[in-house]
Order: sequence, then C-alpha cells, then structure tokens
Amino acid sequence: MLHLSLLIGLVAFSILAVLIRDLLKSAISLAVASVFLAVLFFEMNAVYAGVFEVSVVAGLITVLFITAIALTRGDGDVVESRRHLAVFPLFFLALAVIDILVMKRLLGRIPAMVNPESGTFADVLWNQRTFDLVGQIGAIFAGVLAVLALFRRGEKDAGHESPRGDAPLAGGQPPAGDAALMGRQPHTGDAALMGRQPQGGSHE
Amino acid sequence: MNNMWILNMGFVALLIGVGLYCLLTMRNAVKLLIGIEVIAKGVTLALVAGGFARNSLMLAQCLVITVIVVDVAVIATALALIININRHTKSLDVRKLTKLKG
Repeated sequence: MLHLSLLIGLVAFSILAVLIRDLLKSAISLAVASVFLAVLFFEMNAVYAGVFEVSVVAGLITVLFITAIALTRGDGDVVESRRHLAVFPLFFLALAVIDILVMKRLLGRIPAMVNPESGTFADVLWNQRTFDLVGQIGAIFAGVLAVLALFRRGEKDAGHESPRGDAPLAGGQPPAGDAALMGRQPHTGDAALMGRQPQGGSHE
Repeated sequence: MNNMWILNMGFVALLIGVGLYCLLTMRNAVKLLIGIEVIAKGVTLALVAGGFARNSLMLAQCLVITVIVVDVAVIATALALIININRHTKSLDVRKLTKLKG
C-alpha cells in the first residue's frame, strides 16, 4: 500500500510539474517528485540510488533550475496553448487505459530471476562497471566544458561593458586629467610643486 | 514480486507518457527540460524495478547512478544554452528560435 501511494505521489507531482504555469512552482514540484522516487528506492532496498536521487536530482538539479529561472525571469513569460492543457486529462486517461491493457498482457512474461549477486555495491561498481565510471567522468567534463564555452565572454562584449574609468586598471592609457592626479599628492604642497615645476623642467 | 514489477512498469509508462506529452505540446524551453527530467525519472524507476525483480539490485543501482550523472550534465548544458538564448531573444518561447529556418 505504501508502495502504491508513493508511485501515485510520484506521478501526481510529475504531472503538476508539467502543468503548472509558474516555473518556480514547477521546479519545486519536480523536486518533490524526486523525493517520492528516492523514498521508493529506499523502500526497494536500493539505498545508493536513493541517496543519489535525493542529493543530486532533488538538490543539485533543482538548484540549477531555480538559478536558470531567476536569470531569465521577467522577460521570459510564455503563454502555453490552452487547448493542450485542456486535452491533457483525456490524453492521460487514454494512456492509463492502454497502459493497464498492455500490463495485463505482460502478467505472464516476467523477467527471469538471476543468481543473487555476490559482493558489495562497491565491488560491482569498481570491478564490473569500471568503464561506466570512465564514461561518467567524461560526461562531467563534457558538461563543464560546455557550460564554460556557453558563458565565455567574447572580446566584443568585454570591451563594450568596460567603463571609461576602468581603463587604468586594465592597463590602458589613462585620461590626461587622471594621470596628473595620480602622479602626486592632491592636498599638501600643491602650490610649492606648481612653483617649482618650471625649474625642474629647465634642468632637464 | 511479479505483481510489483508489473505495477512499477505501469507507472513507468505513465511517467514517460507525461514527459513525452510535455515535450510535444509545451512552448517554454524550461518546461521542455522538465519534461526530459520526468522521462529520466521513469527510466531510473524502470532500472531499479527491473533490478529488484531480477534480484540484481547492485547492477541496477550502478546504472541508475550513471543515468543520473549523464542527466546532470545534459541539464546543466541545456540550462546554460537557454540562458544564452534568452539573452538574445528576450524570451523562452521555442517558436521564436527560427533563425536557422530555411
């Protein structure tokens, strides 16, 4: 009974995530669905998968979604078609009926049991699925490089965004008035300096 | 055990159906990514349910972890792409992305 209620909660929050118009609420519904899925994994004794589901999918991916929504908010409102939202209950009903009919036919065809696995999770992960780990590292690097490439600032953008006052910090030529101010103390002995300047110039 | 596998597979089909509906009908780019996430949830549930039914839960968990890692890389890249697109078009509507249309 607990298993069935968890499955219903998972599907219900997934549907909410798809149908809610507010993107922030949609992302939070997706996170709640992930929590339901993680509890399902714990219930099926898949502890490591459950931990990953909670920490990575319900945590990290939700943070990524909320960050992206915050960065695109304000000018990103999209009006979805009302017809598609109205048709969804009919679609879901038809899908559920077809699903029940197909699953009834599958009742006699159950996957064959295999011999119980020996060793621990770490043995299976590090010894049997070593190449999966290599692939995971490759996927992470590919993702990081893709994000870096997408957020790279072009030379044109960098030059355009730099204000005039930043030029000395960036190593460029400072404005004439600024250079004079940077070369000496502004308050003490200004008059004396101004008086001596012609003499220094004649020595050189 | 067998009935539980059938039950899980029924809900997996529902999740994948909902995700596909989202991908086919929604116009918001972030909503499309949410649809991909829903489909990924269905896939991970199918893997764990299969492992539970076949008594090979360790292997199933390894595959689930791989799926989740690939999923994170895909989502991060796609969200970065969406932010860049939003800067140019000032919208999240995928119908406005017609620059490459012949």
